[in-house]
Amino acid sequence: MLRLRCAVALARLTRSISRLFGRGGTALPGLVALRIDPGAIEKLVAGLREGVVVVTGTNGKTTTAKMIREMFTASGRRVLANRTGSNLARGLAAELAGAWRRGRIAADLAVFEIDEAAVRHLGPRLRPRVIVVTNLARDQLDRYGELVTTAGHVAAAVAASGTAVLSADDPMVAKLAADHNGPVAWFGAVPEIRAAMPDDRALHGVTASTPVGRIDALLTGVVAAGDGAAITVVVDGREVSVTLQVPGVYNGYNAAAALLAVARLGLDPVAAGSALATMAPAFGRGQVVDYRGRRVKVVLVKNPSGLNQAIRLLCDDPVARRVLIAINDSIADGRDVSWLWDASVESLAQTPHSFGAGGVRAADMALRFKYAGVEAWSEADGRIALDRLVDAAAPGDTVYLVPTYTAMLGFLELLLPGRSRDEVWS
Amino acid sequence: MTAPLVLAHLYPRRMNIYGDIGNLLALRRRLEWRNLPVRVVAIDEGDRFEFEEADIVVAGGGEDASQLAIAADLVERGPAIHRAVAAGVAFLTVCGTYQLFGRRFVTADGAEIPGIGVFGAETRGGGTRMIGNVVVSTPWGDLVGFENHSGRTRLDPTQQSLGKVRRGKGNDGESGEEGAITGNCLGTYLHGSVLPKNPALADDLIRRALVRRTGAPAALTPLDDTIEREAAAAAAERP
Repeated sequence: MLRLRCAVALARLTRSISRLFGRGGTALPGLVALRIDPGAIEKLVAGLREGVVVVTGTNGKTTTAKMIREMFTASGRRVLANRTGSNLARGLAAELAGAWRRGRIAADLAVFEIDEAAVRHLGPRLRPRVIVVTNLARDQLDRYGELVTTAGHVAAAVAASGTAVLSADDPMVAKLAADHNGPVAWFGAVPEIRAAMPDDRALHGVTASTPVGRIDALLTGVVAAGDGAAITVVVDGREVSVTLQVPGVYNGYNAAAALLAVARLGLDPVAAGSALATMAPAFGRGQVVDYRGRRVKVVLVKNPSGLNQAIRLLCDDPVARRVLIAINDSIADGRDVSWLWDASVESLAQTPHSFGAGGVRAADMALRFKYAGVEAWSEADGRIALDRLVDAAAPGDTVYLVPTYTAMLGFLELLLPGRSRDEVWS
Repeated sequence: MTAPLVLAHLYPRRMNIYGDIGNLLALRRRLEWRNLPVRVVAIDEGDRFEFEEADIVVAGGGEDASQLAIAADLVERGPAIHRAVAAGVAFLTVCGTYQLFGRRFVTADGAEIPGIGVFGAETRGGGTRMIGNVVVSTPWGDLVGFENHSGRTRLDPTQQSLGKVRRGKGNDGESGEEGAITGNCLGTYLHGSVLPKNPALADDLIRRALVRRTGAPAALTPLDDTIEREAAAAAAERP
């Protein structure tokens, strides 16, 4: 205990000092805590009365974790969360140490978003009461390696968890149930909605899905409403209807997963679900930013299935919009841009929208547009591309910005100058 | 020419991991833009197909498990593919299928996957992955693509390569060679996808197919390849 107290105290001191010097980073205090007490994470989470929820999967982690967090916060719990991008051990240690007050951790539970590579090692250390696996699709093969490897990482975390909240509609996720001894809770959608959810299961040769009997949280309706979506989910036989501020069928799935997770942790899903109506989108997850009098809707894409979801969103918008798809190839985006060829860009030819290609690899996106039969302009410079996107739109109009991760960071500085990343993401 | 050119996509379900579908799309569009009729056929494991009826066959890469899953089917098709290659059918094999068009692939843990030996080449798995953008000097000019493989492919002294690596690793990271070519059958580690960014190579496959069809030299209507060149130039500058 003394060792833990020292670890926490020094982590907090490190944080204060680094803030004094204008650094907002979470890595260093966490590193200090773990250096002094390598077991700090395990000891700190043991003090959480209602335990840990882990959200992992290829797409939808940030939004799903945020939904779970908001529902618990609305129910009066003190919820600890990790910020996007700080899902390594040191990031979690820093968040946990930061919640330390008078000799104990001042939070009831933690909701951590953890990526598919890190979850293998962090899952067993966190011993989550609930683990949510949103979906598993191929993602940045140059970074994460093969999908079966990723599925193995996630399986290790599921084995160390209590209840596994799994997608019945994603065969790679459904297969995880076979290796889990604890309870499994299933979320999914009615066939009409499932058919509208783009996936790339055919691309990894999975055809037969694991037979799942009962769906504990069934998405039965998704209708576009304003910038968001009106959804209906039947959780344990009870209907939850709510209008989300985040758009698309994929966020209907995220909401079904989140509602099921909170239900398994003892919240009443009908009461808890109302908190979703006021949940603002996380940055880049359908968030609308005012820029020079136009509404810029930012939809982050990281992989072919994510791009397919964005394409689906654009296909569902009947109003002619201007759209910029901006592709970078930094390490965080994946160096390899060949995934652009796996997304069904062809579908965009049927929409009334007009398109531009941006980012460091604007030329690759322009090429993808060309072979998809979609006319598009191309501009690698972020500021010029953004101006070109909004200039042709009338004041008050909505335009779409669809960037990869580091492209999004670049646009963030143009859209919200002077705002730090942490501020925007909190 | 009235009958459409037949583009066959071998193992689209399992061997299509790095945007390999883009190669099929590039050939198809470049035929359509020239008003040349085209028909696309998908061949998965167990599907009956006579390769000599195809004009161009494309095949891509897959995860290890996928490669294992198609290996037996490929070996069964081996004699038919050899006949088609001898008959001048154009092939483009990328990454995982390129490896299996060699004699064999020995994985890092010593397991052997037999190939069909169209190329005088053998591949050994293991070691660090070779990942990054690649530039290769070839008879088609500089080819630009992205490689991501741990297999090291050694060509026999008599086996011709596609070209010399100017940037990146290529077949084995040592020999300086990239890819292989036997008749009209090409193998390469380049994806990206390779054909959209390298229209000279795409058009040469089309030309080879037309020559085989008509028995006469084929002249292709030139296309505006500005965007293709820009994309290749951008990729060549990236790590």
